[in-house]
Amino acid sequence: MIEGQTKFATRNYKMDMIEVTGLVKSYGPIQAVKDIQFRVKKGEVVGFLGPNGAGKSTTMKIITGSMAPSGGSVRVAGFDVFEEPIEVKKRIGYLPENPPVYGEMTVDSYLRFVAKLKGISGDRVSRQVEKSIEKTDLGSVRKRLIQNLSKGFRQRVGIAQALVSDPEVLILDEPTSGLDPRQVAEVRALIQELKGEHTIILSTHILPEVQTMCERIIIINRGRIVAEDSLEGLSNRMAGSSHVRIRVSRPGAAIEQMLKNVTGVTAVTNVDGGYNVQLVGSDGAVEALAESVVQSKAGLLELKREVVDLEEIFLKLTTSEESQTPGGVA
Amino acid sequence: MRSVLVLAGKDLRNLFHSPLFYGIAGLCSIVWSGLFFAALYDFAQASAMSAMQGQGEGASLHFVVFARHISLVNLFMIFAVSAMSMRLFSDEKRNQTMALLLTSPVTATQITLGKFLAGLIAAWALVALSFLYPASLRAFASFDWGPLVASYIGLFLITGCYVTIGMFASSLTENTVLSVVMSLIFNVMLWFVGAFSDSAHDPVLDKIFAQLNVGSHFVNFIKGTISISSLTFFVSVIVLMTFLTQRVVESNRWR
Repeated sequence: MIEGQTKFATRNYKMDMIEVTGLVKSYGPIQAVKDIQFRVKKGEVVGFLGPNGAGKSTTMKIITGSMAPSGGSVRVAGFDVFEEPIEVKKRIGYLPENPPVYGEMTVDSYLRFVAKLKGISGDRVSRQVEKSIEKTDLGSVRKRLIQNLSKGFRQRVGIAQALVSDPEVLILDEPTSGLDPRQVAEVRALIQELKGEHTIILSTHILPEVQTMCERIIIINRGRIVAEDSLEGLSNRMAGSSHVRIRVSRPGAAIEQMLKNVTGVTAVTNVDGGYNVQLVGSDGAVEALAESVVQSKAGLLELKREVVDLEEIFLKLTTSEESQTPGGVA
Repeated sequence: MRSVLVLAGKDLRNLFHSPLFYGIAGLCSIVWSGLFFAALYDFAQASAMSAMQGQGEGASLHFVVFARHISLVNLFMIFAVSAMSMRLFSDEKRNQTMALLLTSPVTATQITLGKFLAGLIAAWALVALSFLYPASLRAFASFDWGPLVASYIGLFLITGCYVTIGMFASSLTENTVLSVVMSLIFNVMLWFVGAFSDSAHDPVLDKIFAQLNVGSHFVNFIKGTISISSLTFFVSVIVLMTFLTQRVVESNRWR
């Protein structure tokens, strides 16, 4: 009966592509993942963010079925990873932290091998290989041995490998690690292109990456999800404190004192001839601040409200978590 | 089945594209050539002697030349197969390509069978190479194919055992050197289990150890007899080791 339901669910367009419930993974006495729970909708791009060792890779390995959890369950496209691993694996393209390539094979023969391994039927192999080579721009090196390729190309071969079976779900573990800035930009552009066609989970510890690529962010720290929201959502959540940068033509101690007296202002620092003002509350507080500055006739040159960036959110979330659980797992 | 062939094809292709296989095959054929010639020379002298003394045909070609050759090939296979099968799983783990296999829609059984098939074909290629030596003698001497073919069936089977043992050792570690050493130890152990048959001093145990004696089973084949018990013994070892490897591969999922 359940079988029938899940089969039906895969045809349902608005279903959750990935469904992770109560995931726990312990390595001996150390719990790497503690009760992780999230859902990813079809076509969504989700960023997995966390410091090194937070449990990102472990969670991804469990979703791909290459590692079993100590508890909890994972469903991909309605199939349970442990009950029907083959069905799940048919639908997943996975790029591990290190691209799983064979140095002694050429790019072409390697991709053909992976395509066949993923169960692509004989006549479609060539077409799929062409497609993934084109997408990852590997045409110039397709006849070369992988061991002679640079790190950037190898990483791209790794991505091509994940794409070659045209999977519904792509799981990319730090897709831009170890690449030079130009290659990072290329990989990001590639992931942008893949948006919509595939459901993507990517992990990273580099913040701008999720900022540019992901629709939703899951911040994970010490094996727990500490935040899960869209970028705007996360920013709004932090809206309790705003940053405003003010530059005036006639700065002075009086102005600084005046700023400090505005209701809601918690700190004023003098940086590069301007003032960085930190205040509690959002729009209303900023409005009051602007009015006071104008009334002070100090010659307002610039008043810029700075968006709380992901870095701050991240630091705040990951450090507050630490202070909550002193003496936790090292 | 297709996945098994795809996996085996990849391993074979990589093996035949590497110098390792040709190095081993080259070294083996140099040694086999020298010693096969030496055995043949001994045989020629012995039969000339017995002909002169009017003692009829004298020694048998099969036992003087072929049996010596086959024991030598067997000895070499212990090392050659250990060196080739170390790559089967250890390399995958070291290159972190095991993740690719484990996240592909193939079962642990298919992975294991693919590896086994690749190792078996590579090892059998070497055994087939060694078959050229006795077979080439057919141009100069007439002999009965029967015992020779029976001996080679035994050789193919025992090589199959070395492959599965090497594969099992390889599945246990990502260190290739350790994998070779373990494989050698397991192979040698296989040969020495039978040695207990005289020292157990217990009729039942003695019988069990006698049945586990690889040497006596192998000698059966060299003598030209294909007995069900020897056949069963070799096939059992192959099945058992393949099964154990499958369990190790499967355990990657839950460890």
